[in-house]
Amino acid sequence: MKFSISREALLRPLSLVAGVVERRQTLPVLSNVLLMAGSDGLALTGTDLEVELIGHAELDELQTAGSATVPARKLMDICRSLPEGSIISLALEDGRAVLRAGRSRFTLSTLPAAEFPNIEQSKQDAEVTLPRKALKRLIDATSFAMAQQDVRYYLNGMLFELDSNAVRVVATDGHRLALAESRNELTVSDLQRLILPRKGVLELGRLLDDSDEPVTLVLGPNHLRARTGGYVFTSKLIDGKFPDVNRVIPKGGDKRLVAERGELRQVLARTSILSSEKYRGVRLYLEDGNLRVQASNPEQEEAEENVAVDYQGSGLEIGFNVGYLVDVLNVVGTEQVVMTLSDSISSVLLEAATSDDNAAPEFSARYVVMPMRL
Amino acid sequence: MTKILHADCDCFYAAVEMRDNPELRDIPIAVGGSAEGRGVIATCNYPARTFGIHSAMSSAQALRLCPHLTVIKPDFERYREVSAQIMAIFRELTEWVEPLSLDEAYLDISGVERFKGSGTWMAQWLKAEVLRRTGITVSIGVAPNKFLAKIASDWHKPDGLFVITPEQVDAFVAELGVDKLPGVGPATAQRLKQMNISDCTELGRCSLSILVDRFGKFGHRLYELSRGIDRRDVKVHRERKSISAENTFERDLTPAQVIAQELTPMVDKLAARIDRHGTPASSKIFIKLRFDDFTTTTLESSAMLPSITNFTELFERAWQRGQRPVRLVGVGIRLLDAEHSRQLALFGAPL
Repeated sequence: MKFSISREALLRPLSLVAGVVERRQTLPVLSNVLLMAGSDGLALTGTDLEVELIGHAELDELQTAGSATVPARKLMDICRSLPEGSIISLALEDGRAVLRAGRSRFTLSTLPAAEFPNIEQSKQDAEVTLPRKALKRLIDATSFAMAQQDVRYYLNGMLFELDSNAVRVVATDGHRLALAESRNELTVSDLQRLILPRKGVLELGRLLDDSDEPVTLVLGPNHLRARTGGYVFTSKLIDGKFPDVNRVIPKGGDKRLVAERGELRQVLARTSILSSEKYRGVRLYLEDGNLRVQASNPEQEEAEENVAVDYQGSGLEIGFNVGYLVDVLNVVGTEQVVMTLSDSISSVLLEAATSDDNAAPEFSARYVVMPMRL
Repeated sequence: MTKILHADCDCFYAAVEMRDNPELRDIPIAVGGSAEGRGVIATCNYPARTFGIHSAMSSAQALRLCPHLTVIKPDFERYREVSAQIMAIFRELTEWVEPLSLDEAYLDISGVERFKGSGTWMAQWLKAEVLRRTGITVSIGVAPNKFLAKIASDWHKPDGLFVITPEQVDAFVAELGVDKLPGVGPATAQRLKQMNISDCTELGRCSLSILVDRFGKFGHRLYELSRGIDRRDVKVHRERKSISAENTFERDLTPAQVIAQELTPMVDKLAARIDRHGTPASSKIFIKLRFDDFTTTTLESSAMLPSITNFTELFERAWQRGQRPVRLVGVGIRLLDAEHSRQLALFGAPL
């Protein structure tokens, strides 16, 4: 294997692929990236056995086709620190990868390409195509609520539900829940449900942008594959039963308030400075036209703020982990946010405030946050 | 005025065995694991104690001291039943009962009006009722706080009753050896000895700043204990801090043997226990290793699932610390504390 490539052509696919590679590996070859140089360019593969990403880069010149695996992070760090516009040549010499650029030379260890594992192709149930921006919007609106290393392993991921006219995603860590829906014509006959693991969600999100370029999802019983812009992303799925979401979306809330999203977010963020570091509890006092936010910590320090809200009705005192509220306010896309509450031990529903009463908007998101006992 | 009662059954497991089989009453018996394996003595009766046998001693060692010792396999089901009966009697006196184990509990009797509020009478009643209804003798200590009550229950064991009134606290504590204080083990006792401190009178002369300097947070506790002060309340809902499963192997194992044979059943057992406790939220997983030289090490890792993969990795890292044959392995999860449970959960089950 011997080729040359411009630093800029290599850097983006390399950093995306290296992102999949875990820092700590049991199998040495898993900390490497697989490089395959051929007449159609350079294919780069990174995997952690759960998520696999194949990227593609155009070569400047191909001298000898071939393949090798080299340490992913080292290769990326070297390429990143080379001067802009560098032309990088990479050659396999006596079992080592020699990288040259200008007057620099780096000799990297390699492992045989044959040792590199690939995720087994599985049966395909459905294939759908939608714009990148639609999928990105779904992930961006909900991924913060995924659990992390929870014992309930099925929460450490995102539920995808696809039918012929919409994609719905749900993420929850058991304390708060984010649900988003994007209306798209899809080529599926039956409802498809799958749980994509947390890492797969985050890596998939990095491949997407706000463009109308297509992303094709291939749904299998154990895998999800996504193809877009020369990248092929494959992730194992979580085999488990996701909790029934409809059961936890509050319906009987009689206290509906509208707040300026940016202002409320700032008020909460400021107040949280003096909430207990570990539990981040804040108290909200809702009254006619006003929301009072109060926080205190074990050092007896206190913060209090008032923010005008559109509300008429009976008062309510309720506690929340301020982080959960701020997370939602960070991703709601509108100027105003609607909060629907019922009592101090029931969840709050947060939604974007939309002016038109469109029955089926192109995109919608709802958030449920459970309170803290005061 | 706070009044705490500490009740401790006398050689509980052995007492249950003797109650159910009177032939065992006057011969040395012990409840514990078998001497062929790595069994240890959990409890032994008083005849056995005259041979120098005590709990936590290996069964093999106990049999060397007393070759005609009868070692009985523990029947925890039965002990739990008797324990529940005893705790129920405690609760007839007050709802403020904090069980410490199957055979031991603190009772906050400050507000009890029966028996004219007399701790001595309450203790006498409890001892008589427990004996009458379950056949088990209990030793009881009554004092103005937990730590003194616990020392008091041990004072006239077995079948003991010892009361420390508020007026007697100072005199009692003054005579107390530092090794009697909760949290003071051989290592701390040794360090105190190097400071020429062996009893609470000497400890009491030591300034708070010196104690905190030498012992950190525990220094503050020592300062208070030496003055007979213990601010701990009786906790009716005792908080579980961890869930774990551990196993002492029949013989010492290599790390490869532990991983191949022992870890999976242990992690399965842990999973079943986590399940039984309603899958509470955990903050960490941990592994405990005891090597063949009895050195013990614990390694934790935050925000990890209690999976076989994670425990294997943790085990390998922990083993590097000793690099010797392994005698015991324990796996477990640390639970998030109560403050966290103020956060309500979306999906029914307690988190």
